[in-house]
Amino acid sequence: MNIEKAIDLLSNGESDERMSGFIKYYANKLWAEYNEYLMNEIVVIENKVKELPIVIPNASIRKPYNAIVSIPCEEMTDITLSGLTEEVQGLKIEKQEDGKSFKISGTPKESGTFDVTLRYKYHGLSVERPYLERMLQIIINPDPRDLWKDIPVPEDMEYPKDNTAKEYVKVAALSDGTPQKDIVAASKRGRSHAQEGKPRDDDFRLYHDEKTNWYVIAVSDGAGSAPYSREGSRIACNVAVEHCKEQLADSENFDDDINLYHLDQKSEAAGKAISADIYKIVGNAALKAHKAIAAEAQQKGRKTKEYSTTLLLAICKKYDFGWFVASFWVGDGAICLYNQADKTAMMLGMPDEGEYAGQTRFLTMPEIFSDSNKFYQRMNCRIVPDFTALFLMTDGVSDPKFETDANLKSYDKWNELWADLKENGVELTDDNEEAANQLLNWLDFWSPGNHDDRTIAILY
Amino acid sequence: MRRLPVYLLLDTSGSMYGEPIEAVKNGVQTLISTLRGDPYALETAYISIITFNSVAQQVTPLTELSAFQQPQIEASGCTALGEALTLLAQKVDTEIVKTTQEVKGDWKPLVFLMTDGEPTDDLQKGLDEFKKRKFGMVVACAAGQGANTNTLKQITENVVQLDTADSATIKAFFKWVSASISTGSQKVEDTHGDVASMSELPPPPPEVNIVV
Repeated sequence: MNIEKAIDLLSNGESDERMSGFIKYYANKLWAEYNEYLMNEIVVIENKVKELPIVIPNASIRKPYNAIVSIPCEEMTDITLSGLTEEVQGLKIEKQEDGKSFKISGTPKESGTFDVTLRYKYHGLSVERPYLERMLQIIINPDPRDLWKDIPVPEDMEYPKDNTAKEYVKVAALSDGTPQKDIVAASKRGRSHAQEGKPRDDDFRLYHDEKTNWYVIAVSDGAGSAPYSREGSRIACNVAVEHCKEQLADSENFDDDINLYHLDQKSEAAGKAISADIYKIVGNAALKAHKAIAAEAQQKGRKTKEYSTTLLLAICKKYDFGWFVASFWVGDGAICLYNQADKTAMMLGMPDEGEYAGQTRFLTMPEIFSDSNKFYQRMNCRIVPDFTALFLMTDGVSDPKFETDANLKSYDKWNELWADLKENGVELTDDNEEAANQLLNWLDFWSPGNHDDRTIAILY
Repeated sequence: MRRLPVYLLLDTSGSMYGEPIEAVKNGVQTLISTLRGDPYALETAYISIITFNSVAQQVTPLTELSAFQQPQIEASGCTALGEALTLLAQKVDTEIVKTTQEVKGDWKPLVFLMTDGEPTDDLQKGLDEFKKRKFGMVVACAAGQGANTNTLKQITENVVQLDTADSATIKAFFKWVSASISTGSQKVEDTHGDVASMSELPPPPPEVNIVV
């Protein structure tokens, strides 16, 4: 069939006018259909490209970043990736030689989610098309350190307490140059407290008796869940240290008992005498502190529980034959005699841990004192030839530095802590009063997930 | 460091197609970006997403917030909730660090489960595996009227219901999940204790009804 015959057949004997109307009508209809087909083709392609697994790894502010982003599609050509600049985000995009991948690099200087535009042409479309686009995103994480807020405590807060505390007790070297041990302590409000404008709940108190040469150290950690624990911890340290101070002002009998105990550690009589002394001094210090807190609570018409606090107390003195140390400990944290000479780390007890994580015992609990057996177990005494340092700390320090009870018993871990202090600016040299500041600065150490109040006291 | 693992179990069956699944995707995105701005969560919370339709699949392994990438989520098929619980149990076994003498392990995982229909597979099998593992807080959410809250009560006592599975309601749910994760991560840091009951979470918004 020739073309003329075909047109004849198509015109169906109608007039030219009708025929041209017919052709126009169908031409428009078919064009519309064709255009729709082309549009659909683009949508299909765009959807296909949208599903391509294109991964831009997350960046973090101030951390050098270097990533290759690959476009896994053969049909895409003339690809560009744009939207990041060194000026704004601190990141630049460079096309790689293969034309299918891009290097994003730099050190991000702003956090947030930023759009990145992928532009491309698609090979195989029925007609040439302008660029198509897919929006991608890059996430630049903030530094958690920037997110912690430092909100001051309310000015009219009952029982005000400074956000930091530090002290250095200098016992000057003897005239012949023999160094005498000093005490340094620092305490700092935790980031998690600062974040919510809550006060520091930790406390400490130090004392050295010039005449008798006794050292007394108390450290306590007010429970985060107890509204007045900051006062509980303050009373605990103060009352406990005051009691020891009174008891040790005249310590001749105690000295005699210690001497006797040293000479004959196995003697039952000496053991009994020393036990009675320790009970009278550190045991009663704890009991007095407990009573003082209960009295304060009662006076204010509150429950003692609202003043919950731990207490770590140590008394220490040098004799001709070595050092005598006695302690009382209720709650978590750590008390340890660390000695480099014989590579020992002697824990003076172990932290109280409840059935569930986070449960501990508090000085404010009456059951601490009602079971005399257990009460005795909270007291400890040691005679050692010498030691490098006696540490007392709250769990704000011991948790990040030791994590587990097994680590608390490990000499290596204590050795690491000693090195950590030294490497991070704390110069524990004789009579260095600046150490108090240095120790306070050291307490700022970064440990993800550990932002409790931190308190540490070191006799060295 | 002790991580706070968070598992999101999301129903991606065919009935979620359209507005609900888009709302879930947006919800996940908002959840992650909100938590990124919370210093507690950014440091301690780790997120995994398990989706379930005709099969269960872990589309995001347990990932720290700063590295989280939005997974591809599509709705189709039926509701293999039992298989999702089995998969959750397996992942908990392999992904959660256990406490040893030297290392304190992760906190107990938080689980948020959302479904809009009845399970179409053997729920009991998954339930048995699930019950053998230790979790912190488990919250199950019935999205709309198609989900049976009694079924969810077999999984956990903490069941909430959304009246409808529209985007505003699903958004409100995810916002609450995000606030709950923030609370959880703050709690482990402040008091060193797991979140154990729903009363410790922020109160749910009006769109989210607690099923007693």
